[in-house]
Formats: sequence, C-alpha cells, structure tokens
Amino acid sequence: MRKTQKTDISKKHRWLGGLLLAALLIAGAAWAGQIVLARSSAANAAQVSPLHPTFALLDAGGQPVVESGNPVSTIQTCGSCHDTQFIASHSSHTSAGLDELTAPGETASQRAWDISSGYFGRWDPITYRYLSPEGDERIDLGTAAWIMEYGSRHAGGGPATTSRDGQPLDQLIYSSTSPETNIVDPATGELTPWDWPESGTVEMNCFLCHTPDPDNGARTQALEVGDFKWASTATLLGTGIVEQAGDGYQWVADAFQADGELKPELVTIQDPTNQNCGLCHGLVHDETDEPLVLTGCSAGIDRTGTSGQILSPERISESGTNLAGKGTLDYPWDIHAERQVSCTDCHYSLNNPVYYQETDDSRPDHLSFDPRRLEISEYLLKPLHQFAGSQSAQGTLASDTADTMRSCDTCHNIQATHNWLPYKERHMDTVSCETCHVPKMNSTAYQQYDWTIIKPDNTPQSECRGIDGPNGAISSLISGFEPALLPRIKGEASSQIAPYNLVTSWYWVSGDPERPVRLQDLSRAFLDGETYHADIVTTFDQDGDRKLGAEELVIDSPEKETVVASHLEGLGLENPHIKGEIQPYSINHNIVAGDWATRDCQTCHNGDSRLSQPFKLASYIPGGVLPEFVKDSGAAAAGEVYRNERGELYYQPDTGDADLYILGHNRVAWVDLLGSLMFAGVLLGVGAHGTLRYLAAARRPRHAPEIERVYMYTIYERFWHWLQTFTILGLLFTGLVIHKPDTFGIFSFRGIVIVHNILAAILLINAFLSLFYHLASGEIKQFVPRPYGFIDDAIAQALFYLRGIFRGEPHPFQKTPRKKLNPLQQITYFAILNVLLPLQVITGALMWGAQRWPDLAARLGGLPFLAPFHTLIAWSFAAFIVMHVYLTTTGHAAFAGIRSMMVGWDELEAPQTPAQEETPA
Amino acid sequence: MKLRKYSWLLGLVVTLAVIIVPLVIFWPRDTSAADPVIRDPQAGLPLRSQHTDHTHIITGPFESGQDVTFACLECHPDSASQIMGTTHWTWESEPFDVSWRDEPVTIGKINQINNFCISSQGNQKKCMTCHVGYGWEEDGQYDFSQAENVDCLVCHADTNTYAKGDYGEPVEGVDLAAAAQSVRSPTRDNCGMCHFDGGGGNNVKHGDLDESLKFPSESLDIHMGREDFICTDCHRTTDHVIKGRLIVDNYKVDPSEQVACTDCHSEELHDDDRLNAHVQSIACQTCHIPAIALEDPTKVYWDWSTSGQDLPEDHFTYLKIKGTFVYEKDYQPQYKWFNGNLDYRYLVGDTIDPSQPTMINLPAGEISDPQARIFPFKVHVANQPYDAVNNYLLQPITAGENGYWTNFDWDNAFTLAEEITGLEYSGEYGFAETWMFWPTTHMVQPKEDALQCNDCHSLEGRLDWTALGYPGDPLEWGGRLSK
Repeated sequence: MRKTQKTDISKKHRWLGGLLLAALLIAGAAWAGQIVLARSSAANAAQVSPLHPTFALLDAGGQPVVESGNPVSTIQTCGSCHDTQFIASHSSHTSAGLDELTAPGETASQRAWDISSGYFGRWDPITYRYLSPEGDERIDLGTAAWIMEYGSRHAGGGPATTSRDGQPLDQLIYSSTSPETNIVDPATGELTPWDWPESGTVEMNCFLCHTPDPDNGARTQALEVGDFKWASTATLLGTGIVEQAGDGYQWVADAFQADGELKPELVTIQDPTNQNCGLCHGLVHDETDEPLVLTGCSAGIDRTGTSGQILSPERISESGTNLAGKGTLDYPWDIHAERQVSCTDCHYSLNNPVYYQETDDSRPDHLSFDPRRLEISEYLLKPLHQFAGSQSAQGTLASDTADTMRSCDTCHNIQATHNWLPYKERHMDTVSCETCHVPKMNSTAYQQYDWTIIKPDNTPQSECRGIDGPNGAISSLISGFEPALLPRIKGEASSQIAPYNLVTSWYWVSGDPERPVRLQDLSRAFLDGETYHADIVTTFDQDGDRKLGAEELVIDSPEKETVVASHLEGLGLENPHIKGEIQPYSINHNIVAGDWATRDCQTCHNGDSRLSQPFKLASYIPGGVLPEFVKDSGAAAAGEVYRNERGELYYQPDTGDADLYILGHNRVAWVDLLGSLMFAGVLLGVGAHGTLRYLAAARRPRHAPEIERVYMYTIYERFWHWLQTFTILGLLFTGLVIHKPDTFGIFSFRGIVIVHNILAAILLINAFLSLFYHLASGEIKQFVPRPYGFIDDAIAQALFYLRGIFRGEPHPFQKTPRKKLNPLQQITYFAILNVLLPLQVITGALMWGAQRWPDLAARLGGLPFLAPFHTLIAWSFAAFIVMHVYLTTTGHAAFAGIRSMMVGWDELEAPQTPAQEETPA
Repeated sequence: MKLRKYSWLLGLVVTLAVIIVPLVIFWPRDTSAADPVIRDPQAGLPLRSQHTDHTHIITGPFESGQDVTFACLECHPDSASQIMGTTHWTWESEPFDVSWRDEPVTIGKINQINNFCISSQGNQKKCMTCHVGYGWEEDGQYDFSQAENVDCLVCHADTNTYAKGDYGEPVEGVDLAAAAQSVRSPTRDNCGMCHFDGGGGNNVKHGDLDESLKFPSESLDIHMGREDFICTDCHRTTDHVIKGRLIVDNYKVDPSEQVACTDCHSEELHDDDRLNAHVQSIACQTCHIPAIALEDPTKVYWDWSTSGQDLPEDHFTYLKIKGTFVYEKDYQPQYKWFNGNLDYRYLVGDTIDPSQPTMINLPAGEISDPQARIFPFKVHVANQPYDAVNNYLLQPITAGENGYWTNFDWDNAFTLAEEITGLEYSGEYGFAETWMFWPTTHMVQPKEDALQCNDCHSLEGRLDWTALGYPGDPLEWGGRLSK
C-alpha cells in the first residue's frame, strides 16, 4: 500500500521535474540566444551573414554615427558584443612590436636603430624609411609619419593608438623633439607639431579582415594624408553604408534603421577569407575565370614580392604569365589553395575551439585527446587574434606564437606516402617538407635593393630575380628561380634545411650611434630638386651624355663612393659608409603535390648537389661592400658570400659548415686519395709479382709432384666464405655507386641504397652465425697466432713470397685441416675479421641508425666522421680482396686454392721429406 | 660422381639465393596510394574494318538512290533489314510504359515534339533530309518494309560525293555511281552530316557535336583530336545496331545499350584517392567536359513568337521563318542528378501550364539515388506555340506545303496540322516557354584541362549545392554517401 502511494507521489514529482527542466532549458536557450543568436528571427532571415546580428555603428563616444556624423569606432561598435579591448591587446597584428620595445640596438637583429622585432621598430631595407628612436636628432619617421607610411600594412591599434610608453596618442603632452608628437615637414625638413586630436588615431580595423570587399585603397589613402580617424570608415566605402562627400565622408541614412542599427541586408561580417589576408600579405588570386597575370616584381614587401609566393588554385599552365615552359606546368600554383584549404585553416586563431589541440608535451600520457574546450560563445566574445604560425625568417615578431602551427604531418600522413624513400626518418629530420615540395618558384621575387644611389623619383635601384628582361613588361620572360636552401635552426643543436629567397640590400649609414641615412638626406645628397648635382653627374656619367641612366647609377669605384660620401658629410652626417645585409625570406607556400615534388635522389645525392648550388645574390656589388646575413632570421648562414669574376655576388652554401654529410656529395679528399693509392698499389704489386713468378717458372724445369687429396674445408666453411665474398663484393660495388653517383648515373640511387642495406644485413647475420660456429667448433683457434716463434715463422713466410717462390722452393709451412693458415694469413685474417669488419659494420650500422638513434650517432661524430671512416675501410677491403685472390694462386697449381674452397678437397703436394710439406697460401 | 662434379654449382645457387631472396622480400614497395587500376584503354577499342575499294565492284550508272541500294544488297543482303530494325530507320523508340498514360507510348522524331523545329510531322520535305531512307513523304503512308528505300550512301559514301535533299532523296547533280564507289566505313563526316547540323544549322542542337569536330584539335576533343577516333569507336556497331541512346528520344535506357566511359577506361584511374572518391557521385563528363561549343557557338534560346516579321536577318540572331535566337560559345553546362533515364518526356497532347516552363524532357535522378550521378546538360530554352484553350503544345506545319514558312500564318499552320497530327486546334494560340535537356558527352578535354577543386568547391563554384539536394558544400558537410 505504501508502495503505491510512493509511486503516485514520485509520478507527480516526475511530472513537475520535467516541467522544471523544460523551463530551465528554454530559459537557458533564450539566454544563450541573446548572446549568440539574432535579436529577431525576421532580421535573421533577411541577413547576408547567416548568423551575425545587425548592430549599430557607433563613434568613439558611443553615439550612432548616422546621428553624429563622426567616424566609426570599431572598438565601440564591435565592442558592443565582442571584447575589443581584449582583442586589440592580444594580437601581434596590432601591437606590431609595441609591447616589446627595447633601447635602440638591443634587438635580436642587432641593428643600432632597431627598437623592436616587429613591424613597428624593426627596419626593413626595402622600404628604407625607419622609425626614429626617442632622442634622435635627425628624425626620419615619427609615429604619425610611420602610420602614414606603413599604416596600410598595419591592422590598426597598437602603435597607431598608443604611444611608446603606453599613453593614448591623442593625449600626449607635446614635446618639440619627440618623434611621437612631431612630423618632419617634407618641404623644409624641419620638425613640425602633429595635431593628434585633429587627426585622430587608427583603431584596430575589424572591417579590413571581416568584410568581403573592404576598400583598402580608400583606407590607404586616408592614412597617407593623415586622416587617421577616418581609416576604418574609409574601409566601408563601396558597401553603400558610407559615401565620399567632398573631402570627407557622409553616412548614408538609408543604410540604417531607426535605432542606428545597420539594415540587415548590409551586414556582411564574415570569417576572413584568403582575399582578406592577401590585402597585405601577398597575391591571392581566387578568380576562376580570370587568368593570373604576372609581369615581374611588384612594389611592396608582401610575401609575393619578397619570396614569389602566390596563393592561387589556378593551374600555372592556364595563367596569363609569360612563363618559360608554361605549357608543361599543369599543376596549381599552390596545391592547398586548389584544395580549398584557406589561410585560416592553418593560421587559425589560437583559442579557436575547432582547431585548438593541446601539444603532446603538456598533455598527460593517459589522454590522446582532451575534448573539454572553449564554448563557441566564449570564443566569439574573446577571440584571440594571435594566429598559429611557424617561425619564419622575416617574421621575427611574436616569438611566443612561433611554432604554434602544427606541422605538415599533423594533417598529412607522411609515413604512408613516403614508403619509397630510404632513410625516411632521417630525411624528415634533416630536410623540411618544403625543400622537396617547393622545388621551384615559378614567379619573380626581389633580388637586390641598392639604396646607395637614388633615382630622381626617390626610388632605389632594384633587381628582380627570375625574370629575363625589364621588370614589369609583359614581354619579359619569367623563368622563375630555385630557392636557396639554408639550414633553419630548430632547437639547441638541430637544424633543418628549408627553402628561402635571399634579398640583399645596400644602404648608407652614418653617425654614432649608427643610423641609416634618411631618405631626405640621401635625396639631397644626390639631387637638387629633380636634377643631379653637377659633380655627381660628372663622376657617374660613363657615356658622356651628361645624363645618368640606370646602368650608370652604380657605385662601382672609390671615386663615386667618395663623391657621394662628401655630399652626405656636407649635410652634417658623420662617417657615412656603405653597409650591406642579406635577409632570408622563408618559403612555405606554393607547395606542389607528390608527382611534381623532388623525387630524384640525385638532386641532392650527387657531386652537383642542389644543396651546394650557388645562389645569385646580386649582379653588382655597390662600393665593393660584401653584405652580411641578418642576425635574427633563424636561418644559419652556413656558407660563403663571394664575388665571381663578372663582379656578381653569389652565396655558396657549404654542407660541411652546416654539419651535413650527404652521401654521394660530400667526401673527404684524402681518404679517397689514400684508398685509391692503396688499391692501385696492391694491383700493381700483384701484377708484378705474378709476372715475375710466371717468368721464373717458365725457366725452371717442370716436375709433377705427388698429390695427396685432403678434405680441407667443411661445407659450412665454404658457404660462409662464399656468402661473405658475394655480399662484400656487392657492398663494395654499391658503396662505390653511392659514393660517386655522378660517375654511375646509370643506376638508380635509391635502388642501390636499398641493395646496400639489405646486403649489409645479410653480411651481419652471416658474420654472427660464423662467429658462433667458429667458437662452438673450436675452429677459432686456427685464426689465433701462437706467440711463440711467431715472428720467425712470419719472416720465413714473407721471405718465401719475396724470394723463395721464384726459385721454386717448397712452402715453409705445411697446410693441414687443423692448421690451415700460415702466420701471415693468421694476422691478416685476424685483422680483417676481428678489426676491420666489425669497424665497417659498426660505422655502417650507425650511419643507417642515424635516423633511429640520432644521439648515439651524433656522439660518435655523426655522419661527417662515420662516413669517411667507412669509406677508408672500404678501400682497405678492396685492396685486401685483390691481394687475397692473388695469393690463392700460390699453391701447387694456379687455381688449386680457389677450387679447394669450392669443393672442399684440397690437393696437397705429398711431403718430399718428412719435414717439408707444401702449404699453399 | 656426376653430382659430386657439379656440387659446386649447387653451392653457388644456394649462396646466391641467400642473397637474392631477402633482396626481393625486403625491397620497399610504394604502398602509398592504392594502385589505381589501370586498364589499357586502347584494349577496349573495337577493331576497325579493313577498307575494301568498291571502285571496281560497283559500276553503275544509277538512276535513283534505290538503285544503289539494290546494288549494295546484292553482296550485303542483310544490311537493309538490319537498318530497318534500328531507330535510324523507324524514328521511333520501343514502347514505354509511362505513368501519365494508360497505354504504352513510343517516342521519336516520328511522333513527338522538341523545342527546336518542333515537329517533323507534315514537314517531311525538309526534315527527312536526315532520315536514313529515301522518299518519306507527308502522307504518312511511308512503307517501312521496303528495303530498297534504305539509304546506304548517307553513312557509307564519301561525304564530298553525296548529299541528301528533299524527302531524303539524293540531291540533283549527285553522281550516284561515284558516291557508291566511294563507300567505306563511316567517318565522323558521315555521322556529322546529320548529327552536327541538327535543329537546322551547325551546332544548333547538341552543343557538343558540331562541324569543328571534322578536324578537331587535341584541346577540342581528346578522343577525336589526339586519337582521331571515329564515332563507331565508342558507338560500337554490330550488324548496324549502333550502341548509344539519346535520352531525348527515350524514356528509359538499358545501360547495356548505352555508351559509357568505362567501356574502355577503368573506373578508378586517378592517382589521387580523393578524385577517385568523386566517381561515386560525379559523372566523368562533369569534370572532363568543362565547356562545350568551344569553337562554334550553340543555340541556347529560340523565340518563335517573334518570327514572321520583316526584320534584318542573321543566322545567329533572327530569321523570319524561325524567330529570335541566342547563341552561346564556351557554354558552361548545367548540372543535374542523372541516372540515365527520364522522369518525364513531353508527349503530344500532354497539357501544360503556360505560366511555368514546360520540360520537354526531364532527366531522372536525385541525390538519394545510388545510380544517379551529377551530369552536365546543355539546356535549350524556347518560346514555342501552344493551344491557348486546350493548353497543349502545338505542332505547326512549317516546311510543308502551305506551311508557316510559306504563308507566315500560324492559324493556318496549326489547322493544316490537325489532320496529320490529330491534335485539335481551338483557334487560339499563344507562346509558352519550354526547356530541353541535352546531355553533354563529347568535347572531352585532355586530363590536364579537367575541372579543378575550386571550380566547384568555392564561393564561385559552378554547382548549386542546395539545388542538388546537399545541405551545403560536401567538402565541408561530407558527401552524400559519407557518414
């Protein structure tokens, strides 16, 4: 009875509980909906962005812009829902180095005028204008001028809103000498105050990346004229939300609803696409119906200019470029672009819950995947604008996000697809994926920038690599270039070969502390308005036409350098001199798929290896100054910068300097010399010895001795001997091919390496089995020389070979099944089998094992030591075999020895006298 | 003793085996991609027959086409009857059971409508230029059993020597003897004499069959260009039964009667696994024929309603007898699920809704049909006459006597047709929009020019995913067969 009652009550409770749960769920959904979903379902249905609600565009004071007419403030507008303070303060796209400022000269680049490692403060010789540190007398770019000059490639925020010591720029107290509150008047060259409240500052521009067609041109223009506060507004031109009105901007009333919110059909907020990234980072060509047209290096320091990288899914053969061999290149510019892997798929926001995965180091062993992650709504509130990236040579900022991007092998199954590659792991360790998968850049990139002279339009001389003909002409033939392969420092002691483009620049520096000569000073040193100074013309003019053409604007003699230096000194610059630097630019894009990647072993494993191919740096050397590699690129300059006989500058990589030993390419010259001398010497020696024996025997009367057949070699001994013979001969031959692949180009390098490894394994097993046999059967005693009387016996045997054999004397030692080896044989075989062979096996095993036990191999010297050692012993073996085969002919008949090793029965001369018995060698 | 003598040989063999066997076993195999199953596509080609020169076999002279046929039948007695069993002769399909009719229907040029020149009934004078026989006249009493009316020359004679004219009779001035002596296996020119110019001009109808295929370049059609295929290399013919069925004049097609790429090519022949996976849902043609009408434009729109006016005439834009046209070159096909059959074929007398486009033929297939693949089609849109009271499409007499092309009088054209077609004309006509789907299967590009990933899987991709039944791009949502 009680039970039923209980059931009744619990049923009732269950019903109530269900109602409560439903109520909670609905409330929860509504609450979450408020944050994430649209405010009204009607608005939802009409919006272009499927999920983003409509919002009011607000100005810096929080008022709707359509009412106040003020420029839009992204911090206020987007900040209504997203934590814009968080976003703007956690992004290297905005900070650009502002939060890592140092005193000048204390950056990783070690330049005396750099104050950070980022876009704000690290000088780039290509763009030349430099941010003046505080305290400089001659100011090139102050903060305002920096924004005008470089703001087009900066996302806003950071140094464009905040001063170097953290103050808002429009609240700075004026100082007449500070670069932050002044700007250099281009007409007078004097410092004039900059009116920050008037110009405003540049907030982090959300629209640039998050709308489909931002007007980057208008934005750049607004920045260039100093209209900083209108930059975000200018980005929206063309959307119908704002229009240009005279010199200013007019918000279109029709685009807004009554409460200042945008009309739903104008809300186009989106995830950044490749096109957005390409606005600053390089050429992105997504259009399927338009061929890509390239005519050479474009101005600017984006990835396309500095390294030739182009992100396009189009087939190269279908592009509109005048490219050498284009018809055969029917693969896409970038395979990932074709496969619709977009920038944000690899360079994802670091707290994006879709992509975030804990690294192996910090994840506990018992977990393979931790599913707990940020809610999408939390992420949308505070999305980290730090993007995953690997360390690039030129992207020296954001070192704390370096190597946050997962590597190729977190998406790609490298193991399964590289089964054809011997020493797979060793290749993966030593060579980056890009080295083989970006074999050639089919585009142009900068080669050199010469700021030691200046053209009348205030631009330097520059040269483009990969193009035959004038830069920018459609008729010029684009031949592309093979990237330079340099070691990329990975950790403490490890590096990986990676492809780079090297851009060399020369420029004038002066003063103490050193600064680059300002553009305005350089211009005045050369030009008076738009004409060159008279002495400049007379010094530089070669063809006497009193005009300076491009070929003549080169500092290729001390006089020219002096005349320019004197002008610079005349402007008050102390000690002007030319400096040169080489900046590597990483190449990680333009990946080609497997068929087109480097697959031929001999590309690297050859005398003419790609890894030691010289890379052209410049076609002339201004002032004869040899440039140095920049110090913060992460690429090791393991090679030599040299000048060839035509005056061109080349970089010659040195694999030895990079601690690399490439089989088939590197070799130690004296080892090969010594080894081949040994081999040749033995060959000559046995040739002479044999000839003399033959002649001596021809003169002696023949006598047929009495023969006794003795069973000398067991079947196992013979098997072991011949297996060893064939494998060692095979190893010697394949080893020779590996050592000199260009001489033996007919063989497949990969095939030979595989054969070598398999033969080595067989030899190893054979050796161990025979060691066991010899120990177990006691045969090993035969190989061990008895010390008593050993020297005398050895000398006697030696004398026999040198003298007695020509006289037909009997052998000093009798060969019996229990004593098969004469003293000389004993020491030789002992050395061969117990010293040389083990050493060869060990060095060979360590060379193979360099991928499995890299530490062990490295501790014993690594390949640079093991490989030449292995080669030397190989030469010794080769010499030994010649001698060994020859000495088998010193029996009673020429082939008796070899036959006995085949059939086991030896034919010995019956003893003439009891003491003397024949002992064939 | 003999064994002992050669024991060294045995030892040698064993020793070498100990070396060679491990070499073979441990040689690394490239197991990266599942080896694509490559069949030698050349192996699938039919043997071409040896040419027999008929110059001395046939003498002539011949008075009529039928005389030539009689001569052919002397040595090839079965040929005529073989032809007579095919649709080239009957212009009519096998009977089909269709859901909207009680009795089986046949579909063919003999009795159905298209949205080009509309109908052959009553217009035999001009239409039968492309019939494989002689003398089919308007009275509808054509004797299909007369063997001598089979025209051997249209397919077998050198096209420079022979042409057909009104009612399919040889054109005046053709030297029939010369034509007869020139006979050989049909070439592209023979088939193309009719199939390139269907609809009244070069490349009007198909889009992927036009006169540029007489001397095609490799990049126009890889088979006919680089490999110099003739039609019968794919449309295999045994005893005059030609493989291949046009879905426009059929309702259901037996796959064994249809030409398929897999007749020669293996199904999974891409090196890339991802591409091989597409074969489950995409037809070969979709990726390998990015566009048709590459050299000669094709007609995509035909408005009959503007005909009859005295406007400047131009083959590509306006003709008084036909109306206004739009031609398009580099035509990008439209894509639909297609399993080889039709869902609907407009039959004469079917009612239409003049406010909606009428589908003359509608390909069958949908995303849930495992036999269906996304297939490219050329869509021809026309504005053609219909009976405004009875709401069905009308078949005018155009080329026939006193037809529209003589009098430019629609009422008259429809009235004259009443007796021939049996379609009652109410006296009021209008013009309704009709669509026709023509499958694209020729002008196959070299593989280097096939579509790339971004041609479909991008914002400007050519496939309308929602229209095809997908929730979104299958690159992100998963394909129709993936879990």
